Amino acid sequence: MSFREKSTWITFVLLLGFGIYFGDVALHMLDPTRAHANYLQLFVLLVVAIVVLEIITHVVIAIRSPREAQTPIDERERLIELRSMRPAFFVLLVGAFLSVGTIHLGASTWVLTHCVLFAIWMAELTRYGSRLYHYRRSA
Amino acid sequence: MAPDVSASPVSNQIRRLRFEHGEMTQQALAERIGVTRQTVNAIELGKYSPSLEVAFRIATVFAQPLEAVFQYREALSPRRRG
Repeated sequence: MSFREKSTWITFVLLLGFGIYFGDVALHMLDPTRAHANYLQLFVLLVVAIVVLEIITHVVIAIRSPREAQTPIDERERLIELRSMRPAFFVLLVGAFLSVGTIHLGASTWVLTHCVLFAIWMAELTRYGSRLYHYRRSA
Repeated sequence: MAPDVSASPVSNQIRRLRFEHGEMTQQALAERIGVTRQTVNAIELGKYSPSLEVAFRIATVFAQPLEAVFQYREALSPRRRG
């Protein structure tokens, strides 16, 4: 497995960590009386934890394969990145339109904000998931 | 010529040429043409068709004309496969 594929796996798995946040938000939306986390605090905590883990894990894989880590991105990898943007953009677009739709259902700004954040998260998961698919297929 | 392993309309002789050049490794070839080893592997297996620039670089490494390294089979082109 190449350095960039490993890097993509790490980012994909770490992104799944936001599931904790969106899971709690979803439970709160279904039952507003339920005790919930301080969302700003939880969000910031998750962002910091993911950034720290990204740095640590990338340093580790770079130490294990230093030559590959220093190799600049080549044309096949660039193509994989570009191909992965298409489905991710589609997910983001659908998510954005559905989020706007919540306004017509009388949703609050808080719900709208979380729908947009959820769409961004889904789009990022699609982007990295699609990259992994293309890496496995080789192009 | 070695049999093709891909269904791509572009086949290549890279495996044979590496063998004839002192069992050159994919990594060594990758470093000489400025791509990753995985990209060389994908090209060799016909899973990825390289740009013209990379194709010329590969041909230069083996001191061969481009058509001696890459062959185009029109019968397998997407247009013909329709």
